[in-house]
Amino acid sequence: MGKLQRREFLVLAGAGAGAYVVSGFFADRLAAATLPAPGLGLFEERFGVTAEMLRQVLQAALSKGGDFADLFLEYSTSNAVEMEDDIIKESDENIRLGIGIRVLKGPQTGFGFTSQLELDAMRRAALTAAAIAASGSAGAVAPFAERPPGRQVYQLRTPFSEGTLADRIALVKEGYAAAAAHDKRIVKVRSEISDELQVVTILNSEGLLTTDVRPQARMRVTAIAESDGVRVTGSDNAGGRIGRAFYATPGTTPKEIGTRAAEEAIILLGAVYPAPGDQPVVLGNKNSGVVIHEAVGHPFEADGVWKKTSIMWDRMGQKVASPLVTIYDDATIPEARGSLNIDDEGTATGKAMLVERGVLTGYLHDRLSARMLSATSNGHGRRQSFRNPPLPRMNNTFLAQGETPPEEIVASVKKGFYASSYEGGMVQGTGKFTFSVNLGYLIEGGKLTAPVKTATLIGINLQMLNDIEMVGNDLGTFLGSCGKGGQSAPVTAGSPTFKVREMTVGGRA
Amino acid sequence: MSTDSNDLMALADSLVKLGIMKGADEIEVSIGDGSQFRAGIRDGALETLTESGSRQLAIRAFVDGRTANASSSDLSLDTLDRLVTNAVARARLGGKDEFAGLPQLEKVAVDANELGIFDPAILALTPEEKIAYATKSEAIGLKQAGVTKSLGASFVSADETTILANSKGFRGSYRSTGAYASAAFQAGEGDNLFQDGWFEGGPMRSALPEPEVLATTAARRVTRLIGARKVSTQKVPVVVEPPVTASLLDFLAEAVSGEAISRRQSFLVDKLGSAIAADTVTIVDDGLLKRGFSTAPFDSEGVPRRTTTLVEAGVLKSYLLDTYYGRKLGMKSTGNAGGTTNLYLKAGTAKPEAIMASVERGLLLTGTIGFGTDPTTGDISIGAFGLWIENGVTTFPVAGVTIAGNLSDLLKGVELIGDDLRFHGATNGPTIKLAEMTIGGTAAAAPGAGG
Repeated sequence: MGKLQRREFLVLAGAGAGAYVVSGFFADRLAAATLPAPGLGLFEERFGVTAEMLRQVLQAALSKGGDFADLFLEYSTSNAVEMEDDIIKESDENIRLGIGIRVLKGPQTGFGFTSQLELDAMRRAALTAAAIAASGSAGAVAPFAERPPGRQVYQLRTPFSEGTLADRIALVKEGYAAAAAHDKRIVKVRSEISDELQVVTILNSEGLLTTDVRPQARMRVTAIAESDGVRVTGSDNAGGRIGRAFYATPGTTPKEIGTRAAEEAIILLGAVYPAPGDQPVVLGNKNSGVVIHEAVGHPFEADGVWKKTSIMWDRMGQKVASPLVTIYDDATIPEARGSLNIDDEGTATGKAMLVERGVLTGYLHDRLSARMLSATSNGHGRRQSFRNPPLPRMNNTFLAQGETPPEEIVASVKKGFYASSYEGGMVQGTGKFTFSVNLGYLIEGGKLTAPVKTATLIGINLQMLNDIEMVGNDLGTFLGSCGKGGQSAPVTAGSPTFKVREMTVGGRA
Repeated sequence: MSTDSNDLMALADSLVKLGIMKGADEIEVSIGDGSQFRAGIRDGALETLTESGSRQLAIRAFVDGRTANASSSDLSLDTLDRLVTNAVARARLGGKDEFAGLPQLEKVAVDANELGIFDPAILALTPEEKIAYATKSEAIGLKQAGVTKSLGASFVSADETTILANSKGFRGSYRSTGAYASAAFQAGEGDNLFQDGWFEGGPMRSALPEPEVLATTAARRVTRLIGARKVSTQKVPVVVEPPVTASLLDFLAEAVSGEAISRRQSFLVDKLGSAIAADTVTIVDDGLLKRGFSTAPFDSEGVPRRTTTLVEAGVLKSYLLDTYYGRKLGMKSTGNAGGTTNLYLKAGTAKPEAIMASVERGLLLTGTIGFGTDPTTGDISIGAFGLWIENGVTTFPVAGVTIAGNLSDLLKGVELIGDDLRFHGATNGPTIKLAEMTIGGTAAAAPGAGG
């Protein structure tokens, strides 16, 4: 206990000369670059939570007739540093500690949570969750069998979170300076870095006991350019479940992140508004993963399948897309922002095929959707924190790479729209989606011409999937935070450059 | 959960003292201590039942104009001790910002008990009553012609105590309740499906209508879209329904926030005192509205809430400011640390039917999808749902189109304002008629509705 405090103090207080402290609680497991040891670890050492207490909590959870219960213990420390107006504006430190207790009874979910890890408080939350079951005899809790995650997809040898505040400030300043110096029309820059180390222990009434230690970091630079009364914003970011070397690696240095943000802003200074209306659209490889995630990924989340609210619910084995289309989600990509060793129900993660050559072949399951559809969970049950019950969610979702060089794709369009970067997107269960394009281009005579701002793409996912006419050979990845049911989850999404026969582009005439 | 709010105030006081002892020039400690209940119903059965007690403590520490923040759900004394110590140490590594710091101490003149934000009737509701409300609203909605599926109905009740103390001597706390209900449905067939819903609620039990009202409103919003189709790309007048008026106001609030103005990321920079809207437009943020959705005696840094007229007869009168951005812009805080409170566009005199009747050809905008708004330029480009208007009456539903315009032009182009302002969420507005927006749809064909 003392060790953890000392370590955190040195790391989080960023006392400068303290540099990298790899002593303390995590030292043995992290230095070995292996999986965390099984058991209650942190929660027992630091907060006095024993397996016997948790067995009693699970028993309380099943006391009213629930048929399954699980516990999600979380201890997260996160940090953020922000630079603006040429100064380090503020730094943040956040601690999240608590337990979420869930009870399933058939299709029903009871849930309670508390940030107090004393037995009484946990039992009260368990009894609240238990109330979902109105009848039935108390269920039994199987003896705990410790099971470490079967893989390690995070970089924990030199965790980013071990760095000091001074280290973080140095990175933020580097990104800021690169953007500010890029062009004299850059009038404002914001540079920020945030990171988290989340320790979760998951136990359930079937005897599971597993622990995962998850790093996460992200740096973002936003640059505003102004010229002749026109103001535009460009941004870039990079991160993942990475170690300290990441921001020294070519391609993801703060200098490059800052420069790319400024470049986008400068391009947007010369941008025109799009021509509204239906037209051929080419979606660029760097960021169009967001389109795959929103328009294609969400309808494959199996809660909408068993509730029959997703447009994909009854299409298993059917053709839902052009034969050029293969879509998968892979939670095991090393160091990726959306990767996980195990999901938030303790299920091993993997690669799930959703669409193969145009045919729907799979869904993304959590325990509940799997039980409702007589399937097996493929490890997609995720939660924002101990305050939320799990939902089927994506991790790293991709439109698989095709054969066509991207230049050929653009060259095939006489008049159309090219989408390069996005501010965000949204989809309904009905399949209707919309995307806000931050930077696009006009395609005229098979070439990218004027940059375009303030465009919107709308459509229906089944139509878009069937209208994909060309798929490039240049797979790219986008970092995002996905919102669903009031919960946010870190994800990536990727795609090569691809062409849609026709989409509705919104903008000013 | 407020039985020990005295203890929590004492905790806040002691952390303020600790911060000063550790070397902070100024420090603020806030604590939220609440409980929430949520019942979710789908297809007649209880689908989710959540109940929780939750505490969160937040710290802002200032050393020589340098800022550090911290927060924790772990309220154990050793953790909090460490967080305060860390915050003071981290602040020293920050940059000096002459505008950073706590607000000057200002007396909170209103009595929280007079604001109508705490209702024992909500605490008295039993879980069975809350579940029954949601169950009934879903059942009624499912019976409406055209509704094919329930996307769920819910009932949420909340009880929260807010505590704030700072080193300038501010000490305040208040307790508020809330009861909220929602229902959402799907309609349509094949690939042409639609979803929509409705939400009601507020700090008082009386804010909730009968389940019938919620259910039929939600059902009507979605069934009227059945069979919706595209129209061709064109510019037409647009009648905006109250919920969409509210989202336009939220977009305006982004552009008048001190943060956006100070960062010059707003189309309203340097516009104070200028006409930015039609002279019939008055927009108010009322932090003290009785029984208001977001009413409280003081804001998140202890500045008394107040009534701020943002736009009066078309003229921009005020920004929405907290202490920091107020100082930065040479102005006073408007008590808006934490954002807007109860924001609304004042009702006009036109009957909504008369507004419709005034449109020869145009769109009744009932809903939007997406985030395509840019406060720097005022540009709007989003997906839209609605009903087509011909000769003053609605003819067929519209979907699969975008609408685009610029908020500055839209505000100036407000031609009529309805008398149908109702308060049922944080931001509210009546029906309004806008002179023109661009609709993006099928290739612009001959004039007419297109298909």
